[in-house]
Amino acid sequence: MIEVSHLSKSFGSLSVLKDVSLNIRQGEIVVLLGPSGSGKSTLLRCLNGLEQADAGSVRIDSVHIEAAMRAKERKKAVHELRSLTGMVFQSFNLFPHLTVLDNVIMAPMTVKNMPKEQAIDIAEKLLGKVGLAEKRDEYPSRLSGGQQQRVAIARALAMEPKIMLFDEPTSALDPELTGEVLQVMRQLAEEGMTMVVVTHEMKFAQEVANRIVFMSEGIIQEEGAPEYFFAGPKTERARKFLRQMAQEPV
Amino acid sequence: MKLVMDNLGFLFTGAYYTLLITIVSMFFGLFIGLFTAIARLKGNRLIAGIARVYVSIIRGTPIIVQIFIIYYGLPDYGIALQPMTAAYISLSINIGAYLSETIRGAILSVDKGQTEAALSLGLTPWQTLRKVVLPQAARTAIPPMGNTFIGMLKETSLVSIVTVTELLRSAQLLIAQYYVAMPFYLAIAVMYWVMSTGFSAILNVIERKLSKAY
Ligand SMILES: Nc1ncnc2c1ncn2[C@@H]1O[C@H](COP(=O)(O)OP(=O)(O)OP(=O)(O)O)[C@@H](O)[C@H]1O
Ligand SMILES: [Mg+2]
Repeated sequence: MIEVSHLSKSFGSLSVLKDVSLNIRQGEIVVLLGPSGSGKSTLLRCLNGLEQADAGSVRIDSVHIEAAMRAKERKKAVHELRSLTGMVFQSFNLFPHLTVLDNVIMAPMTVKNMPKEQAIDIAEKLLGKVGLAEKRDEYPSRLSGGQQQRVAIARALAMEPKIMLFDEPTSALDPELTGEVLQVMRQLAEEGMTMVVVTHEMKFAQEVANRIVFMSEGIIQEEGAPEYFFAGPKTERARKFLRQMAQEPV
Repeated sequence: MKLVMDNLGFLFTGAYYTLLITIVSMFFGLFIGLFTAIARLKGNRLIAGIARVYVSIIRGTPIIVQIFIIYYGLPDYGIALQPMTAAYISLSINIGAYLSETIRGAILSVDKGQTEAALSLGLTPWQTLRKVVLPQAARTAIPPMGNTFIGMLKETSLVSIVTVTELLRSAQLLIAQYYVAMPFYLAIAVMYWVMSTGFSAILNVIERKLSKAY
């Protein structure tokens, strides 16, 4: 379903992704682990065109995007990629000038020209699903971080993506609020959503992921089923990373 | 005092023109400013460059020179404008340059995460600008734009030089007629002051509303 081949990306002289290849099947839950600066966010952002790779290609379903593409072709492909993917950010990025409901219905109405009533219908269902139906008329600033992130998930789901990308969705939250967000993500996973998740929540990774992909210095160092990865990582880097995570739980 | 009272109607007409010129210039200036700000942020190199040069020229030259160029300079090229038209054009162009800086700053102050979230949802860059960035930038821009408006209210006195009978020139005409200056100048000073403080008060209310809305 997702096919990343030989992706490379530099910021100036800093090489952030080095010939990364990765395939993800439909319904798979992949958790990306790795130390800070290893390129996890950059890889994720290449999947929906927020970042443009210098070399290599990404294919999602039938949409193909290549570093070598002409600008116009690329623009079209990026637009299609974004219709297939939904993204959840560390800092929520809800639109502060819109109510919770308007946050969720804006994109379907703007991008898909969906009639308002239909958009509201969908939004109410999704808000119910993330447990925030009664907050529909609040502004985001009135919500807790955990609630905001759940709205952000509902907002992304309203576009009916086939793949959900999560970039440290709970890192900005107080520990007591991470659970409610992870719960929503678990539920999504159970419903068969294809998910790529960058997180430092080891327990979530262990219990929900089908596969762990461990990155360091722009390279996928190793990947495997969580039970194997956590029991016996093959590379020294991964062992070191896991030791550090155990010492200072984030 | 009696002289002022007798001619109050005439002075009010002048005040009306001052207000009209301010509002019209502000209105067109807003479009010019928005357009220029977007040109600088999103335009290709040529368009952004033109916009930057425009802003730099306007900010780097006295407004009175700009007015003279439009009113006295353009006729050399066969473009003779009515005083009022010249006033509208020169002040709109002037105000547009200043507003573009305010608007550009306000757009840049919107968190990048907002744009990324909108793009990730599939909005085009234009939709993102319109639905997400500009509404948030407006909040930041409105207070300084209000100050620009009040500043412009006073700057309009400059167009009296090209024979637009706004408030200042109304007073000057009366002075020429009656050979007394002070009462008329004091009267228009009060009128300028009342208009400025009036708009300041309105602006305060708007600012308070804005800070509450979310
Ligand atoms: N827009 C950018 N311009 C310049 N450098 C960047 C940019 N984005 C990321 N980087 C750099 O690229 C490297 C990889 O960044 P990336 O965000 O992908 O890492 P990460 O694995 O997500 O790290 P973290 O766990 O801290 O989020 C970092 O050194 C970062 O400073
Ligand atoms: Mg990151």
